[in-house]
Amino acid sequence: MKSSAFELKHARTLGEATELLAGADGNAKVLAGGQSLVPMLNLRLARPKLLVDIKRASGFRELAADDKVFSIGAGWTHAEIEDGVLEDPTRGLLRSVAHGIAYRAVRNRGTMGGSLAHADPAADWVSTLAALGAVIVAQGGEEQPKRYAAESFVDGAFSTKLGESEVIAAIEVPRLSADASWAYQKICRKTGEFANAIGVAVLDQKAGIKRVLAGATSGSPALLPETAARLAEAGPGAACEIAAEEIRRVLPNLDIDTQELHAVAVRRALATLGGRQGR
Amino acid sequence: MTQVSMTVNGGGVAADVEPRTLLADFLRSELHLTGTHLGCEQGVCGACTVVLDGRIQRSCITFAADCNGADVTTIEGFDDDPTMQELREAFSECHALQCGFCTPGMLTTARDIVLRLGDIDERALREELSGNLCRCTGYVGIVAAVKKVAAGRKPNVAAAVAPVTVSRFEGSRSRPASLLATNGPVTRSSAAAKAAPIGGSAGGTSIEERVRVAAPPEQVWSILSDLKRVVPCVPGAEITSLDGEDLVGKVRISLGPIKVAFNGQAKVGMDSSKREGWLTGRGRDSGQGSSAAGSARWSVIADGPSASLIAVTLTWKLSGPLAQFNRAGLVQDVVRRLATAFAENLEASITGAAPPRRKTTLGGLGLIWSVIKARLFSRQ
Repeated sequence: MKSSAFELKHARTLGEATELLAGADGNAKVLAGGQSLVPMLNLRLARPKLLVDIKRASGFRELAADDKVFSIGAGWTHAEIEDGVLEDPTRGLLRSVAHGIAYRAVRNRGTMGGSLAHADPAADWVSTLAALGAVIVAQGGEEQPKRYAAESFVDGAFSTKLGESEVIAAIEVPRLSADASWAYQKICRKTGEFANAIGVAVLDQKAGIKRVLAGATSGSPALLPETAARLAEAGPGAACEIAAEEIRRVLPNLDIDTQELHAVAVRRALATLGGRQGR
Repeated sequence: MTQVSMTVNGGGVAADVEPRTLLADFLRSELHLTGTHLGCEQGVCGACTVVLDGRIQRSCITFAADCNGADVTTIEGFDDDPTMQELREAFSECHALQCGFCTPGMLTTARDIVLRLGDIDERALREELSGNLCRCTGYVGIVAAVKKVAAGRKPNVAAAVAPVTVSRFEGSRSRPASLLATNGPVTRSSAAAKAAPIGGSAGGTSIEERVRVAAPPEQVWSILSDLKRVVPCVPGAEITSLDGEDLVGKVRISLGPIKVAFNGQAKVGMDSSKREGWLTGRGRDSGQGSSAAGSARWSVIADGPSASLIAVTLTWKLSGPLAQFNRAGLVQDVVRRLATAFAENLEASITGAAPPRRKTTLGGLGLIWSVIKARLFSRQ
């Protein structure tokens, strides 16, 4: 099995990558870690004429922080996040999620930005960053980078707001306070495979973050604002009671059993959160 | 061809490779290091695992041309490695190999586990090993062997990592506007209809989309009965020829990195008394070898005196690589968005007033979003 022929260019800067993409008439793909793209190339599902490698591009692995935000360059790998090579502004959520992505050999090469741009609905970062209310920063042709809210970045399977010549440069993750609690649950039959359902809950009253999310839907992840409000007011137990109903309402297109699977993932996340708060 | 030079098992290698040459194929075919095995060639089975710049990686989803300057160690390069020596002995003692196909990858992964994580419990060990599949299912022996070597070892996470520098954050403080539509953009009824198969496309998956149009059914139907106007409303669809009920055409679908172009034939029909139309066809993507059979059915239903509902049902069945790749729900999501776009385009074609909304392919959903935003906004 081998990919169809393509040209490979190594961009030295993200700006150069943007130019290469813009000049390729929609027939180019960005190559970061390639851990989702290369399987598609091998299966010849994707047949781009040009691959623009950005692994070594300057500006792809910047880190910037203050007391509210931690900005992670898109080129950091899942394994680096898992190992705590960089600070985790979410008090363990990012590290925990990174550890659960695929397998170590894949985590060693796959990047956070690449996973987001690929936008597989079942990918872990898509749901996690949406639940955190992160901001995705993309470099396009203009001088000013574009900024996208993570919760509305993914439009559906493999579709994002990203323009054809835009490259994700960084992900701005809000810092969680010492009061914060979070829980992440995914349902999959085998370790490391794409999830059938993801439930995420993040509660940080001090930082004003209260979010509950059902992920790994067939399209974009679904925030559950009512369940989240209930969580903040009355606790995880009360939130559990209304989660299933809200899921049925916000994901009406899914089959009943799939809706229930999502409800289970969300309830598990809420229950885990309750257990953590109790300590 | 791209020139690469890398270190493989301690020795320098320089070669011209095609950009599409996988590292695994380069190692096996050019360097004759056939200890690296190729199983799934899509990053799942782990047989091709090698050490690349100190970290285990999949050589079947890594291009050789992307490894310029890299340091690669394959299973052949561990002859003098003390940890691997212990693992080899333990694998032998614990009967941790049967056919041997997974063994190079198993050993390479196991070495990483014992060096990085040390003495971990069996549950964690099995989880760490889960990226390597043994087709003989001999996991009990493999786990026992790795456990034996890991016993008493200290973890060594994040060894040999350069210190990171964090600069002061000077980005914007404001959050970008979020379109908090959690389930797609449109407030229309939509159901995963288990529709009766249409025109012989039995056994397919089916979905229905409905869109409300502010025009009476007669007017809507008069436009919908014009096929030359209806078919181009399917995103990416083109009519090559239309002769009576025989239609030859093309549908291009662009979905992230996946681009397919189905060339095919269809039969179309219409029943003006019921205000119903249908199209049944099949097509094949020549590049990829995927094929699809499917149908579209549309009907106009009165919704009060001056409005109509257009109901669109799409049914499809895929075969070939695209079907192989499909995970539950993904293709369904694509077709649902296709149906949505079809309904949108039909509506645009009828009302005529809107700016050109027609989407050429399903690639840039941004266009649709802007239309929908405008529409939601105007309702408020």
